Amino acid sequence: MGTIDLSKSDPNFRDQLTREPGGEQISACFVCRTCTASCPISAVNEKFNPFRIIRLALYGLRDEVLKNDFIWLCSSCYACQERCPQGVSITDFMTLLKNLAFKEGHAPVGIKTQMELIKAQGRIYAIDEFDNKKRNKAGLPSLPTSCDVVKELLA
Amino acid sequence: MTDGGRHPRITLLTMSEVVEVKGYVGNFQVKILKKARYVDEKECTACGECTKVCPVVWPDEFDLGLSSRRAIFSPFPQAVPSAYVININECLGHNPVVCAKCVEACDKGCINFHLSDEEIVEEVGSIIVATGLEVYDPTELDEYGYTRFENVLTSLEFERLINAGGPTKGELIRPTDRKRPRSIGFIQCVGSRSARKGGNYCSNVCCMNTVKSTLMLKEHYPDMEIKVFYIDIRAFGKGFEDLYRRSRRLGVQYLRGLPGAVEETPERTLTVAVENTVTGRLQILDLDMLVLAIGIKPASSTQKLQEMLGLQLSPDGFFLEAHPKLLPVDAATRGLFYAGCAEGPKDIKESVTQASAAAARAIRLMHEGKITSEPITSMVVPEHCKSCGKCAEVCPYNVITVDVKKKIPAVVNTAACAGCGTCAAECPFGAITMNHFTDTQILQQVEALLEEDPREKILAFACNWCSYAGADYAGVSRLQYPPNVRLIRTMCSGRVDERFIWHGFLKGAPVVLVSGCHIGDCHYIDANHWTEKRVKKVHKKMSKLGIRPERLQLEWISAAEGLRFSEVMKRMETLRQGVTQDEISETIEILKNQKK
Repeated sequence: MGTIDLSKSDPNFRDQLTREPGGEQISACFVCRTCTASCPISAVNEKFNPFRIIRLALYGLRDEVLKNDFIWLCSSCYACQERCPQGVSITDFMTLLKNLAFKEGHAPVGIKTQMELIKAQGRIYAIDEFDNKKRNKAGLPSLPTSCDVVKELLA
Repeated sequence: MTDGGRHPRITLLTMSEVVEVKGYVGNFQVKILKKARYVDEKECTACGECTKVCPVVWPDEFDLGLSSRRAIFSPFPQAVPSAYVININECLGHNPVVCAKCVEACDKGCINFHLSDEEIVEEVGSIIVATGLEVYDPTELDEYGYTRFENVLTSLEFERLINAGGPTKGELIRPTDRKRPRSIGFIQCVGSRSARKGGNYCSNVCCMNTVKSTLMLKEHYPDMEIKVFYIDIRAFGKGFEDLYRRSRRLGVQYLRGLPGAVEETPERTLTVAVENTVTGRLQILDLDMLVLAIGIKPASSTQKLQEMLGLQLSPDGFFLEAHPKLLPVDAATRGLFYAGCAEGPKDIKESVTQASAAAARAIRLMHEGKITSEPITSMVVPEHCKSCGKCAEVCPYNVITVDVKKKIPAVVNTAACAGCGTCAAECPFGAITMNHFTDTQILQQVEALLEEDPREKILAFACNWCSYAGADYAGVSRLQYPPNVRLIRTMCSGRVDERFIWHGFLKGAPVVLVSGCHIGDCHYIDANHWTEKRVKKVHKKMSKLGIRPERLQLEWISAAEGLRFSEVMKRMETLRQGVTQDEISETIEILKNQKK
């Protein structure tokens, strides 16, 4: 966990977050830690701790939150959001952080690659003739190899 | 309780329901439905012979289903009156009588199946509402597994288990294997302090109840491992911190952090995942039993009673007192008082204190046989009254009677009238005079205040309790606000008649402000709702006539908001500067033509 260095705190970060959808309620957190105790990710990986991420955000530690890859570990299962007694939209908040991090170019390589694949092909997993042959053998219909609709959507 | 039952001047009506309440302070008529007991409560000696022969077995409500009772039973050992009662829906049948074993068993012949519910009307002078509470049902909090896992109990079920008079004679056992648990966990704030499920308020008693339970456990079973999961332990009050400290000294582990999930193991123990705030680590604990410290919520009868008595509720759903600090046991309507959890979550001591206070307040009001009331009441001039019924509709206290069908003029019950003046403001025929705040008095104030340079003035109506007091507070706090504000005091913003506003504009007022208590804080129950409606109506009319609606403003300013008062007044001044002489003259012209 380590120490928290408040000298790098950005006082505007909290305000910025509370204005965005998903971040409105974060200052209501009263540290009951129901979120962490509910989190299936926290149970297996100590690095991901929703309560700690909210705290870091409230302290204004922008870089520590956005540049770290732990925000990408959230599986969006909504267990924390469902159970939070203070009504903090924790999962939505994680999505907000992911979006901010992406905008600032801090997304992990895997996420960036996925993004590029979707833009280029409309799919994360490219379908080619080989796949369709296998599908046909199994009695399944062929799938289109390109997904131009997605291109239109993202254009 | 027994003392209350024995007192010669206390009539206790058990198994009774209030159906209707009419009247006002000193003269309430209460219609009560007294349900049939089927046992003569004066003759019954509670010997219990009837219970022995009754063949019908039901879960015992007092023991929360942890034991059973018969269809003829005593609800709990100290029940008053100490007479048995038959739940006729469970009884095998009395019409025709198919079983009647109890009738045979009763030597005194107390059981009578021919009794029926009766309706009685009581005349009373004052009413104390002490309808108690209900507890939160934690089933919806699925993560704790209540009802899914048998060894997860509520604090009430636990209480019955360790109570010497309970189903186990005070022996704590696990419901699944009937063995004493070696470890036990308590989860706090179940259904309290939650914005999502249960109440968002603190239920006040659960922390100390848990502390008490842990102490009892440690006294009986010193080796038991006890863990308390909490957010904050609220041990305020006399002797409470001592109790908490003692519990910790005896080895009870207080672990800060609420569990996220509870699972059952094949051995029927419970796995609890919780993050310990102190270490910042997620802990997986294995416990034999789990107790949920459930919160308090308003009784389900609250809403019905509120409508019947014309009371108000706070946002939590409990009854609202007339003043949180100065009138904590009084209702806004005279002659009505609160005691206990009906007014908000509280412990036994506080309930006793409040009940004593409520009784004393009621005696103080009643002992003389007469009451003094403020002369500020409304009066109907019967010659002008057209019996339209508007006044009766708006009266927050329901003290105006008018027969719309038979065209009998309205009559104000001056003893019960609180003097807000909403009726006078709403009367379309000017048939109601509000004593001390008559139309003439106020219209002349308007004229006097706008006599010289009306363009420079801001005409403001302020209610006595909030906005006028807010102005006072602004003054006392040495806050600056424009000196050209002219205040007219009314008891309630509900008194501000449409005509006062039009008259103000006619006399050249650039800006008119109507101000009162915040919605929900009105000192006359909800009279300011009518202010709001009226101002909206005037706004519409202004737009139709071609007068800028912004020139009429409505603001809620409380007595403590001196700063807000000065800010509102500054805004009014900016608004006033935007109104030109031409605009005012035009308005006067419009209104004069309108009159013709």
